[in-house]
Amino acid sequence: MPDLSAMLEHLPAFWGGFLVTAEISVLSIIGSFIVGLIVALMRVSEAKAARLFALCYVDVFRNIPFLVLIFFAYYGLPEVGVYIDAFWTGCLALSIAVGAYVTETLRAGIVNIDKGIIEVAKSFGFGRIKLYTKIILPIAITSSIRPLGSVFINLILTTSILSAITLGELTSASKIIASTTFRPFEVYVFLVIFYGALTFALSALIATWHKHLNRYNEV
Amino acid sequence: MYGDDGFTIFDLQLWAEGLGISAWVFITSSILGLLFGVLIGLIRYYRISVLGKILMLISEFLKNSPVLVQLFLVYFGIPALLMIDLSPVEAAIITLSGNTAAFIAVIVISSIDAIDKKQLEAARSFAMSEWQILKLIIYPQSLAFAMPMLVGLAINQLQVTSLVSVIGVVDLTRVGDIVNLRTFEPFIVWPVIGATYFVLAKMIGIAGSKLENRFNRYKRVTNI
Repeated sequence: MPDLSAMLEHLPAFWGGFLVTAEISVLSIIGSFIVGLIVALMRVSEAKAARLFALCYVDVFRNIPFLVLIFFAYYGLPEVGVYIDAFWTGCLALSIAVGAYVTETLRAGIVNIDKGIIEVAKSFGFGRIKLYTKIILPIAITSSIRPLGSVFINLILTTSILSAITLGELTSASKIIASTTFRPFEVYVFLVIFYGALTFALSALIATWHKHLNRYNEV
Repeated sequence: MYGDDGFTIFDLQLWAEGLGISAWVFITSSILGLLFGVLIGLIRYYRISVLGKILMLISEFLKNSPVLVQLFLVYFGIPALLMIDLSPVEAAIITLSGNTAAFIAVIVISSIDAIDKKQLEAARSFAMSEWQILKLIIYPQSLAFAMPMLVGLAINQLQVTSLVSVIGVVDLTRVGDIVNLRTFEPFIVWPVIGATYFVLAKMIGIAGSKLENRFNRYKRVTNI
């Protein structure tokens, strides 16, 4: 019979795994946003080489499984003399891989800006940098909070794959709990519900935030 | 590639076997997922009992939790609960079919909703049966509407198949892991594996856009 009480005494281990997941998620969200922002600017720039690079980057990282990328990073980085642990390898790989999705989302936000607004800003004598920092990026980012939110929620779910390179995050911790309690069914059902609840809560928060930021755009 | 020290001609054979397993897992779970997903979507659309709501709730959790955890649940959890034996490949196909079905059910519902309701009313007033409406009106239009989403899902699910290597299925990624641990050549092994997935994804994309054109053909004849 399913019995969840067996899990109670292992809650501290579960919580410890959750903290690692939370930590790596926050760092990778920041990292992938920075990577995605830079590449998105290259993607819409006038230099052909930059555009081509950005296009290839997005194409490659959206079509290769994350597990392959993480194995490549985990075994490849020490070969070229970069010695970092599983945590930072995961952070780096997540930032670069998810950066491709952030790029596409931000690009859509930039391309969809009303051309009139940019014309007006230019006629007021805005320079290139000011045009981007004061007009284009604020509009592009606020209007893509919701799609960016789903990209980042996917990132949180993807951190589970880091258990394959021995990082002690939520999924790894649960795996250990499952093998010590001999109750894998209960542990993994609990984990599925936990991830699901986390996702629902975060997407509700993001939806509210999106509405708040875009409250003047609704006519 | 096998001219290098550690590589042998057998690695190429291993690669081909891994490719076969990946393709088998992908194709079977896509077909099963499509069947179950359409079934769930239709049960929900026609509001057949409370079953539709329960299935959609389960789908939500399958869509919003990591596939890796679902794989562990099926491979380690279900055999422990029901006292049965599951091979890694069976567990992989069950999990991925369920996961694909969850996404397909949502695509089915949204593509049926995208059809102009007046068409359905007109069809009912011509006394067409529900089956005729489904076959002649809903099916062709919602399929054309759903095609881009289905192609995107297929490309995504191809990448998800790589996770089955974690429960011991010797797929393309697992082959990469085995060869990498033997030869210590990550800069040859992983780019080759990555490129294989890339080419497969592109092939699905090309086939998908051909199908999209095929299913959108009905739009062109309307103005004759």
